[in-house]
Amino acid sequence: MNNRIDMKGIGKSFFATRALDDVDFSCVAGEVHALVGLNGAGKSTLMKVLGGVYQMDEGRIEKNGQPIEIAVPADAGEAGISMIHQELSLINELTVAGNIFLGRELRKGNTPFLDKAEMARRVKLELDRFGLDLDPNRPVRELNSGEKQIVEIIRALMSNSWLIVMDEPTSALSEEDKGRLFEFIQRMKAEGISIIYISHHMPEIFGIAEHVTVMRDGKIVLSERTAETTEDHVIRTMTGKELENFIKPHKETKGEVILSVSALSKSEDYRDMSFDVHRGEIMVLTGLRGCGAPELAKAIFGLDGEYDGSITYRGQVLKPGRGPAKSVKDGMGLVTENRDKNGILPQLSVRDNIALPFLEKSVKGGIIDSRYVDNVVGKAIADTSTKTESPAQEIRFLSGGNKQKICFSRWLDSDLEFLILLEPTRGIDVHAKADIYRIIEDLAERGVGILILSYEIDEVIMLADRVITLYQGQSISEYRYPNFDKDKMLADMAGVGQSH
Amino acid sequence: MSTAQISTPPKLQLDGLMLRYAVLVGLIAAASIGFGIANENFYSLTNLGILLRSISVLFLVSMGMTFVMLTGGIDLSVGSNVAFSGGVGVVALTTTGSATAGFVAALLAGMAIGWVNGFFIGRLRLSAFMVTLATFALARGLALVIYGADSINVDNGAFLWLGGTSWGNLPVVIPFVAMVFIALSVVLYRTVFGREVYATGSNFNTAFVLGRRPERTLIWVYILTGFLAGLSAIITVGRVSSGQPWTGLYLEFDAITAVILGGTALAGGRGRLLGTILGVLLYGIIINGLVLTGTNPFLQSLIKGLILLGVVLLDTFTQKGRAT
Repeated sequence: MNNRIDMKGIGKSFFATRALDDVDFSCVAGEVHALVGLNGAGKSTLMKVLGGVYQMDEGRIEKNGQPIEIAVPADAGEAGISMIHQELSLINELTVAGNIFLGRELRKGNTPFLDKAEMARRVKLELDRFGLDLDPNRPVRELNSGEKQIVEIIRALMSNSWLIVMDEPTSALSEEDKGRLFEFIQRMKAEGISIIYISHHMPEIFGIAEHVTVMRDGKIVLSERTAETTEDHVIRTMTGKELENFIKPHKETKGEVILSVSALSKSEDYRDMSFDVHRGEIMVLTGLRGCGAPELAKAIFGLDGEYDGSITYRGQVLKPGRGPAKSVKDGMGLVTENRDKNGILPQLSVRDNIALPFLEKSVKGGIIDSRYVDNVVGKAIADTSTKTESPAQEIRFLSGGNKQKICFSRWLDSDLEFLILLEPTRGIDVHAKADIYRIIEDLAERGVGILILSYEIDEVIMLADRVITLYQGQSISEYRYPNFDKDKMLADMAGVGQSH
Repeated sequence: MSTAQISTPPKLQLDGLMLRYAVLVGLIAAASIGFGIANENFYSLTNLGILLRSISVLFLVSMGMTFVMLTGGIDLSVGSNVAFSGGVGVVALTTTGSATAGFVAALLAGMAIGWVNGFFIGRLRLSAFMVTLATFALARGLALVIYGADSINVDNGAFLWLGGTSWGNLPVVIPFVAMVFIALSVVLYRTVFGREVYATGSNFNTAFVLGRRPERTLIWVYILTGFLAGLSAIITVGRVSSGQPWTGLYLEFDAITAVILGGTALAGGRGRLLGTILGVLLYGIIINGLVLTGTNPFLQSLIKGLILLGVVLLDTFTQKGRAT
C-alpha cells in the first residue's frame, strides 16, 4: 500500500495563455500535500488535468511508476483519485448511506429490493474506522456543511479512492467542524490515504500538511517539506518579486465623509467593523473567501438588516434592511459578484439593462422619452467602450467582460454618489479589466465614493486609495496609498499570526 | 467621447420574434384560405363580424395574460373571474338600476380577485400556478353563490351597448378592443411599469437589486388581468343579454394557448402584445373554422390540446437550439 502519483512536465495552454508550464507534481500515500498560489496561478487547472476534466498538452502522469492515461473523469476514479468539490453534490432527500451507495446500491440477493441494512452497516464500519460519529440512516438534508463534506469524503473512500483532492475545504465550515475535519484528515493519513489540500490559510497548511507546493503564473516556484520552510517564505514566493507595483496617479483632493460604518457586527459574518469612505475615495476591503466583506456590503446596501452597530450615509443613520429601492433613490449603486444570478436581465436588450435603475428620470407625463434614454445609453456604452452590435441586442449574447461593463455603465448617472463593487473583475479578460479600472477611476474623479471587495491582491493595490484587510470577519489592518506592503497584506489575509 | 460609434441602426433581423410573427401571418392566411375553400360562408362579412366578436373577450384576456406571462407567471383564474365579476356587475345593476354602478362593480370585482392573486404571488412569493388554481375555484364558487346557480337577464341598454351593439357588420367591441390594445402597448413599451414587467420576468433578483420593486410590479400585473376580466365580463353580458354563472369556462386555456402561440416565452421576459394578437387571430380562426366546417364538437377540445402541445414542443426545441 505505497501508492504514489507523479505528474511530470505537464503543459497546458488555453489559446495564447500558458496555464501550465512544465509542471512536476507528486504525492505519496499517507501524506497531505498543500497546493497554494494566487488566483490564476494554475492550481485548479493542474487539478482538472489530474481529474480528467482537462486534457494536458504535454507531459505524463504515472501511478506507482507506470504511465497511466486520464482522459475523462471516470479514468481518474479508476486510478483511485477523487475530487471533493466546494459545491457539494449530495442528494438532500436520501440518507447518508443512500448517498454513499448512490449508483451502486446493494440489493437483497437477486431481488430488485435495496438492502438498506447492509448498506448502512458497511457505512457505519467505515465511519467507525475514522472515529466519526454519524448515523448512516440520517437524511442528508439534516446535516450541516461539515458533515456533508465528511459524507462526500467517505463516499470517495468507499469507492476505493486513495487520493483525495480538497479545494478550500474549510471555507464554509464552523470552527468546530474544522477541528473535526482536521482530525479526520489525520486519521486518513494514518490509513495510507493521500490528500492534495488547496488552501490559502497558512495556519491550516502548516498544521496538517507534510509538503507544500507553491504555483505562480503556471509554474512551480516552491516545493518543500513544511518543516523546512516558513509561512512568510511561502507568502513571499507566492507573490514573486518581479511584479512591478503599479503607480497610481496620486490625488490629494478628498471630499467629505459620505459613508461611515460604526461598530458593525453580525454574529457569524463580521465583527466590530468601523471605517469611513470619503467622496472621491476608493476604499478596498480584501481577504480570502469567507472573510465577511460581501455580507458587510449587503448590510450597507440595505439588503440585510440583521446587524448590530450603525451605518451613516450622507450624514444620516440608515434604517437597517431598508431595501435596494431606497438605496438607489439615495444615489447608492451595487455591482454584484454574480453577474448571471443577479447582475443582468438576460433576455432584455443592452438598452433596457443599462437604463433600468434611473428610468424615472426619462419620464415625461408618464411616458418614457426614448430619445433621452437613447442618449444616456449611447453615452454609457461609449464611455465604457462596451462592444455590442447595437443597444437593441439582447445582453445574453455578449461576452463576460462586456456584460460586466454594462453592470457598471448603469451607474454612470450623475445622481450616483456611492458605489459598491463586489469582485469587479471576476471572470473577465485583461483588456476588459483595464477598461473597468479606468471606469472606476473616472467615477472616483467625479466625486463618487467607492467601496470595493476584491480577492485579487494586484487589483487591490492598483486601485485602492485605502485598503482594509480582513480575516474571518475581523479587520486586521489598514493601509494608505502609497504604503501598500503586498507581503504583509497577504499575510493578514492568510491569517499569519492568528490562531485558527 | 460622447460621439459613440454605436449609432448603427439595429438591423432588421428576421430571427426570433419577427420570424415568429411572419410565420403566424402566413398561417393565418393559410387557415383562412383553407376554411374559405371548405365553406363559402367563411368569407362573408357577417361571419367576420361574428368571428371577431366571439374572440373579443379572448383578445382582452390574452393581453392581460401576456403581461402575466412576461413576468414569468400564469393566471388560471381569469375565466372564473369573468363569471364572478359579471355576477357582481349584474347584481349591482339590477339592485341600483344604474349602468355606471354595474360597470364600476364589475371592474372592481375583477380587480379584487386580481389583487388577491397579486398579493399572494408578489408579496408572499407563492407559486403563481398554485395561487391562481385556488382562485380559479374560489371565483367560480363565488359566481355560483351570487347567481344562485341561475342566469340573470339584463335589459339595461347602456350596460348591454358595448357587447351587444353593431354598426352595420362591425360590432362596436372591435374598435374598443383595438383601443385597449393601443393603450396597453403604450403601457408596456413606453412606461416605467412596462419596463418593470419585462425586468421582473427576466430576473426578479436583478430587478430587485437595481432598486426596482418587482413584488409591487407583480401585484399590479395581476390587478391588470383582473381589470381586463371585469371588462370581458361586461362584454360577455352584453353579447347574450344575461349574466351566466358558467361563462368563461376554459377561457384561461384559450388565453394561455394564444399567448404561447404568439411567441411569449413561458419563462418570462420575452414577448410582445402584437404576437398575442396574431396568436388569438390564428387560434380563433381555427376554432371558428372547425365550427363552420361542421367538425364534430367533441373533436374540438382534442384539437385545442394538440395545438398547445405542438406549440410548446416547438418552442422548447427552438429555444434549446438557440441556447447552444
